[in-house]
Amino acid sequence: MALCIVAFLYVRLYLTDNASDVPEHIYDRYYVMITDDYKSSFWQSVYSGALNSAEENNTFVELLGSNLYNDYTPEELMEIAISSDVDGIMVSGDGSEELSALIDEAMDKGIPVVTMYSDNADSKRCSFVGVSGYNIGKEYGRQIVNIKKEKRTVSYNGANIEGYSEFAANVTVLMDSKMDPYAQNVIMSGIQDILTEEDKESETNIETVLVDNSNPFSVEESIRDVFMEDEIPNILVCLNELETTCAYQAVVDYNLVGSVSILGYYDSDKILNAINRNVVYSSIAVDTKELGRFCVEALDDYISFGNTSQYNAADITLINKGNVSEFMKKEDAADVP
Amino acid sequence: MFRKLKGISLSYKMSGIFILANLFIFVVDIALLFGINRMSVEMEMAYQNNRQLNALSIALDSLQDSTTEYLKAKSTDSLSDYYISEQNYVDLVEELGTQITDIPYTRMERNIRNMSYDYMDQVSQTIEAKRGRNVEKYRVLYESATKRYEYIKAYIRSLNSEQFVSNSEKYTELAASFRTFETFAMGVMFFVLVGSALVIIRITGRLIHPLESLAASADEVANGNLEAKLPESTSSDEVGRLTVAFSKMMVSIREYIERVRESMEKERLMQEKELMMETHLKDAQLKYLQAQINPHFLFNTLNAGAQLAMMEGADRTYEYVQTVADFFRYNVKKQNELVDVADEVDIVDNYIRILNVRFSGEIHYDRQIDERLLKIKMPSMILQPIVENAVNHGIRGMGDKGHIFLKVYRDGDRVYISVKDNGKGMKPEDIEKVVNGKWKYEEQRGDSNGIGMDNVISRLRLLSEREDVIDIYSEGEEMGTEVVINIPYTQDNEKQKED
Repeated sequence: MALCIVAFLYVRLYLTDNASDVPEHIYDRYYVMITDDYKSSFWQSVYSGALNSAEENNTFVELLGSNLYNDYTPEELMEIAISSDVDGIMVSGDGSEELSALIDEAMDKGIPVVTMYSDNADSKRCSFVGVSGYNIGKEYGRQIVNIKKEKRTVSYNGANIEGYSEFAANVTVLMDSKMDPYAQNVIMSGIQDILTEEDKESETNIETVLVDNSNPFSVEESIRDVFMEDEIPNILVCLNELETTCAYQAVVDYNLVGSVSILGYYDSDKILNAINRNVVYSSIAVDTKELGRFCVEALDDYISFGNTSQYNAADITLINKGNVSEFMKKEDAADVP
Repeated sequence: MFRKLKGISLSYKMSGIFILANLFIFVVDIALLFGINRMSVEMEMAYQNNRQLNALSIALDSLQDSTTEYLKAKSTDSLSDYYISEQNYVDLVEELGTQITDIPYTRMERNIRNMSYDYMDQVSQTIEAKRGRNVEKYRVLYESATKRYEYIKAYIRSLNSEQFVSNSEKYTELAASFRTFETFAMGVMFFVLVGSALVIIRITGRLIHPLESLAASADEVANGNLEAKLPESTSSDEVGRLTVAFSKMMVSIREYIERVRESMEKERLMQEKELMMETHLKDAQLKYLQAQINPHFLFNTLNAGAQLAMMEGADRTYEYVQTVADFFRYNVKKQNELVDVADEVDIVDNYIRILNVRFSGEIHYDRQIDERLLKIKMPSMILQPIVENAVNHGIRGMGDKGHIFLKVYRDGDRVYISVKDNGKGMKPEDIEKVVNGKWKYEEQRGDSNGIGMDNVISRLRLLSEREDVIDIYSEGEEMGTEVVINIPYTQDNEKQKED
């Protein structure tokens, strides 16, 4: 008899053990996040910030496209989102008319859209959550000034400083072809403003190079092109994560560590390591979690109250040799689940 | 449980045990089969959602094709195809989940569902536009619908592949558990088999045990030990009843054997008695014959003497010779049979009379006899030897002072005959010897008829079937002796007396 009971228990345990996947949680709302590169750690980080914040309100955020085998453009993903009748869309804007039209379509259908990081200002999007381009520009400007100060030659007369021979800074700003040009202009003006304010004496040669971001491999090629030129800039300003990573790799490959200073963007492990090894001079980290949270809050507000703040800015932080160890610790801690 | 079972018949018990054991195995089998069945269903269902998605994909293709066909040819067939495909697709889409959960598949299903409704809406608008011949509109709408069709297809494909991977994992797990279950089932079956076999052996052992002890007892009895220990009955089934019957039979056999033994003993005793009786008679006869060589010749001689005496007028001589003749005739005549007490008393009278003639009236003889007892039967030749002893060993040599007193009386169911003398008396040890038959006779006396006391006592004992047939009293030397014999006062004697 005991055996019989054991058998039944076994069968029962086995059956419950192998029961099909049962959802642990059912959500009330369904937001999607659309980016041009859902794999980048920048967007993954934004996404996790958004997801954590959304779950507090029983909302699920999906990084759209991550479950699909085909790679879709943000526009196609927008169409899918609209067709899927989601409850809210967060999309990284690019200022294009096409995306603006889709944003309008979604808003018309009653699906609130928030643009994030860069904006489609001419669309009907209910809010924009980004970082202040001007502030980023100012931060880059300060870094350029710092580099110039560090690298200028000082001539001594005995113990007294006789004079400086200025460092001829050739700055190249790598513009992102996918980024709203307006936002990039704001960054540029931020840089210019600082240079004119704090470095009146010397001249700084600033160039912009448009990096082709039309396909996944073109960024790397565009950046290599910069290094193939006769005149290689000695300061390189990168405006996104991929540019930073590619520039860093190129500097290493062309054996230009020390002679080319990279001002990077974002705080991925690779970039933090590069700062630690003095390959990247400094990087600007956006509080991605905050960015994600602001997006979700904007959508929640819009759905609840029919309106929301038009603009939200996430904090930015400068990472350089002095404070990189703190960030590396944080990253390590964050890696622990 | 066993107590309750005790009253049930053995065949029911045995069948019950086997049916229960089989039932148990059957139940376990069913349970295992049920488990296996559940698992195989589960395995079948492992790829179920892939099949569903494939069906959905096919239905979607069919809807898209029929729409395209209609837009191309505007045929009635393609329109009806469209309606059928649409309905078919709607049915399938209805089955998709709508929930937003932490599982990606459910969200994908929801998206496919919503996109499908959006797509069907666009398709129907396209069809409407085609009907309205709004060329520009239906072309734009068709493009938009086709885009959605592709998105849905992509979704279905992705979902299908994702689920295929997950289902394959599930299937592998299932197959592994199935194999484990198989081993487990075999183990369970084996244990159940062994367990039920043990239980059956134990229970049948308990049922058969009384039969075995019964068989052991029967063997013992068969080997001749009738005193074998009888098995105890513990149940009232066939074995129990058999045990009880066997015990009863054994007790009856023992009793019967005892009875047979007793009756055989009795018979043996009887035969022995008869033999003894015969031996003693023969002995007496022999002794007599030794003494009396030819009684008939002696009678005739004596009778001739008596007649001679009568012719000569010698009356006393005639009487004496006649008495002697009577005495010997009695001896010859009544050797083998029981005689009346009266006959015995007469022979004593004759004997005394003869002696008195021989010894010229020396013996005083008195008797006191209950007349009612004269017809009582007793062995012959008893009293005369006793009296002869009294004369020979008691009063001989006393001259005319010797006195013999004969008394016959009854006390209860015994008849007593006492022969008392006033002679020499006896020592107690001699009395003991005589009663126990250990008295050694002296050489045969010429004036004895040869029948000794031991012969008399033996025959009396045989008749009475008891030991205390004789008592000898003597108060000492010169104080006389009394010999008292007793014979049964039987019903037969009573009757004979009445006759």
